[in-house]
Amino acid sequence: MNRASPGIERIFSWSSIDSKSRVVILVSILLICSIPHSSGQETITGWNEAESWTDHDLNAAVIHGELVWVFGDSGIVRFSEDSGATWQNHTNLGDVDLISADSYENSMAVLSTDGIIYMKDGLESEWITIDSSQTGMKSIALAGEESLIIVGNEGAIWHYTEQTWWNRTTSFTENLHDVDFNGADDGLAVGNAGTILATDNGGTTWDYREAPDPESSIVSVSYFNPYRMFAVSDSGQIIYSTSPGGFEWQLREIESAGYNTTLGIDISSIDVVSSSKILFSGPNGYLGLSLDQGLNVERNILPSGVNTSFNDHAMFDYVSGTVVGDSGVILFTDRAGENEDIGFEIPDYNNFGEFVEYADDMLLSGFIATIKIVLFGIALGFIIGLILAMMKTAPTSLKNLLESYPTRQIKGLGIICLVSALWLIYSGLRRFPDLQLNGIEYIFTPVGDPRGFAMFGLGVAIFVISIQFVLADEKLSGPLFKIRPLNAIATVYTDFFRNTPLIVQFMFIHFGVRLGMRIQELMEGTFGDPGIDGIDYFFYGERAFLSAIFTLGLNSGAYQCETIRGAISAIPSGQMEAGRSIGLTYIGTMRLVIMPQAIRICIPPIGNEMVNLVLNSSLAMVIGYSELSRQGKLMIATTFQIFSAWGLVMISYFVVTWTLALLLRRLEEKTKIPGLGISGGG
Amino acid sequence: MEDVVLSIRDLHKIYPGGVHAVRGVDFDVHEGESVAIIGSSGSGKSTVLRCINRLIEPTEGVIELRGQQINTPNANVNEVRSRIGMVFQSFELFSHLKVLENVTLGLRHVRGMGKSEAEEVALDVLERVDMLERIDAYPGNLSGGQKQRVAIARALAMKPEVILFDEPTSALDPELIGSVLQTIRGLADEGMTMVIVTHEINFARDVADRIVYLDQGKVAEEGPSSIINQPKTERLQRFLSSMHEDKISEDIGNELVSTQTDHGYVPDGTGNRPRS
Ligand SMILES: Nc1ncnc2c1ncn2[C@@H]1O[C@H](COP(=O)(O)OP(=O)(O)OP(=O)(O)O)[C@@H](O)[C@H]1O
Ligand SMILES: [Mg+2]
Repeated sequence: MNRASPGIERIFSWSSIDSKSRVVILVSILLICSIPHSSGQETITGWNEAESWTDHDLNAAVIHGELVWVFGDSGIVRFSEDSGATWQNHTNLGDVDLISADSYENSMAVLSTDGIIYMKDGLESEWITIDSSQTGMKSIALAGEESLIIVGNEGAIWHYTEQTWWNRTTSFTENLHDVDFNGADDGLAVGNAGTILATDNGGTTWDYREAPDPESSIVSVSYFNPYRMFAVSDSGQIIYSTSPGGFEWQLREIESAGYNTTLGIDISSIDVVSSSKILFSGPNGYLGLSLDQGLNVERNILPSGVNTSFNDHAMFDYVSGTVVGDSGVILFTDRAGENEDIGFEIPDYNNFGEFVEYADDMLLSGFIATIKIVLFGIALGFIIGLILAMMKTAPTSLKNLLESYPTRQIKGLGIICLVSALWLIYSGLRRFPDLQLNGIEYIFTPVGDPRGFAMFGLGVAIFVISIQFVLADEKLSGPLFKIRPLNAIATVYTDFFRNTPLIVQFMFIHFGVRLGMRIQELMEGTFGDPGIDGIDYFFYGERAFLSAIFTLGLNSGAYQCETIRGAISAIPSGQMEAGRSIGLTYIGTMRLVIMPQAIRICIPPIGNEMVNLVLNSSLAMVIGYSELSRQGKLMIATTFQIFSAWGLVMISYFVVTWTLALLLRRLEEKTKIPGLGISGGG
Repeated sequence: MEDVVLSIRDLHKIYPGGVHAVRGVDFDVHEGESVAIIGSSGSGKSTVLRCINRLIEPTEGVIELRGQQINTPNANVNEVRSRIGMVFQSFELFSHLKVLENVTLGLRHVRGMGKSEAEEVALDVLERVDMLERIDAYPGNLSGGQKQRVAIARALAMKPEVILFDEPTSALDPELIGSVLQTIRGLADEGMTMVIVTHEINFARDVADRIVYLDQGKVAEEGPSSIINQPKTERLQRFLSSMHEDKISEDIGNELVSTQTDHGYVPDGTGNRPRS
């Protein structure tokens, strides 16, 4: 037994495509994806590379007075007097790796891996050596000019003050990675397993603070002020506290990383340079900048050829400073490393690439706008067409409706109708003189006084028919009893829409009837307050949009009606008889027997109608709807590229209609049933 | 009489063009009886049948189904039709529906049965017409004989009080006729009430309980099936001999045996012409 697969699978399923088509599809996708993106804009780095005169890894950078100092492996020390542009050699501090540095007013201290601290207690003074006798220390911070804190493995915290070392290690013995002070009293130390320790007495005692993620290994902390404390974990989490004392910490949901709680990249250092600006650095050439407290982090573009791991920042203020990294890399910036976009001052639209660059956004929005009215238009048109076609083929005549009533009642009804018809004609006619028309001008009365004309027209129609009623005989044999009311209504409708130009219909319906506005007003409040999208948008959005859908739908319905009607009459009359002979009603037979067959055989001509509708949708530009053609016109207004603009628009239309035609062909094949339609031989 | 299922009185039909196709036809159909209507082309046989089923409105006359007049504007046409089965010359299966769905359509949408209940009934009648094997085929993939048997099943499924056959075999190739006639004969044996318009004189003689001979819109002769062998009127005599000239007289029994295997016919599947 073959199982009918539901919905879209009937029309498209990968497994039903033969191998040749699969190759074509895959190759096309590949081609489209591999077309290089040409950009009319260039983005350049906000960092400049400086010559450091060394290949050793540089681990720490610090501002001391007017100078910026950097320290690295093998006792390397460099300093710059011009904010990092040029660097001068300084005597080595011995054959040790210098890993961390800090400054406080006139003091500056550097920590080496063997626990020796080199300190300057004045801008001009010599280095003093202080031996902590500790190994495995990671970070140093100055808490005043003569007080320093070092932290390291297994929770070690050592405090040097009044020429003495004090062990301030707490009961939390996870490895600590970084310590930072704000002023002389308030400091933070961070480490593995979400360890955050805080002091408010210059490092004498340390308290535990709960981290939002106890798993994270916090590698760097920046204590900017009592309301801005930021830290990063090596996995790229940004945690922050805005409560004085750092009692509460939260994980930042990073907007630019899709509201994840991690940047998705390894981070080694954070530097907060203003109340909103944060710099990040990490391994493998990562430098990042956030202008909004870590909500959005943009990756810095680096000078070409630089791809090192970065270790530390030293910023003079919130714009200028340096960053140091492995292999002696020093970068400096006067704009916090922010990427700079350089656009073309005067775009050259004669360059086709630049023109397309400008045009493609407009084209895309036009494309979407067109698709939107087309889809709704097709749906509406099809429904209207279906209803009209049923009305046109409905065999019910006045005779059928009336034959079960006795002739006397029909005559009575005729007299009542006659009287009311005369009244309608009279009241309609009485309104016309107000229009002050002469002679042939009366043909315009439907516009001048629609209500009056409706009364008059209806009156005449009822008058004629009711005369027939009055003269009715037993057999209801008069010619007017053959009138099929539904058919008559549908015929008036289709005749009207098929005998007036679509462009005029657009303008009449949008500007004249103001259908879009009326629908909008009608729907107001139905779905709550106007929102941004969804059903709200449908009704509160552009008025031209609603008008366009309805004009296209009403017009297309008139044409589709004829097509569907043709298909219905192509179904042998025996099918209706067969349906009725088993007791189905007329409507039931239509729905269950005739329509399913008629729709199948009218897919190709309906497809043509739909393609026509797409093409006709271009006329919606006259009511100011921003579909493809209007976008084309707008493109020309700014670029003057007439050939290119209309060319692009044409290709876009072709893509829509051609795809539609392909889909319909598939639909036709999938719904084909043996013995039905032209090619069926059964 | 009590067991009259269908009674036709003074039936007249004048088509809109003015053709007086039926001019006063009277006959009764009794419970369990099969009545064969024979007559030359244009004699009004189809017109009579279609009047009975109200596919066309008789100009004059009374048609009664179990004593109740059905050709009045007030009668419920759909209810009446669901009590009268009809089998057409050109099958008129619903080509977009599979065999089983063709049979269940009326059950579900007229009788209001659920899907499974309807299918049960449908499978039962399809078995009676020997079409169980092809329940998932589309009509387009069936042979003419198979189509007609499905059409019979479709009519049977509604459990009609009488079934009308309008030349059920005249659109069929000679070798496919047998299986359909066999099916109808089976129904006759089961006691189904039937009115059969046919050109198969031998079949009419063998199966029908009564023969109605129509000529120019009137019943020219009516009687038991023996009137085919001994026609009383000259007109029937002439009609019968003209039929025999057209057709080599065959033993209907032999014909049935030779075409029993009709459902072995397998068309190519889609019925489509190959495309280049
Ligand atoms: N819809 C119609 N409109 C006008 N005349 C018709 C119509 N249907 C049938 N007729 C005429 O009525 C007469 C009887 O037709 P009918 O179809 O009942 O004959 P029949 O006995 O069934 O013939 P056949 O054996 O060829 O089927 C014929 O003369 C035919 O031309
Ligand atoms: Mg006939």
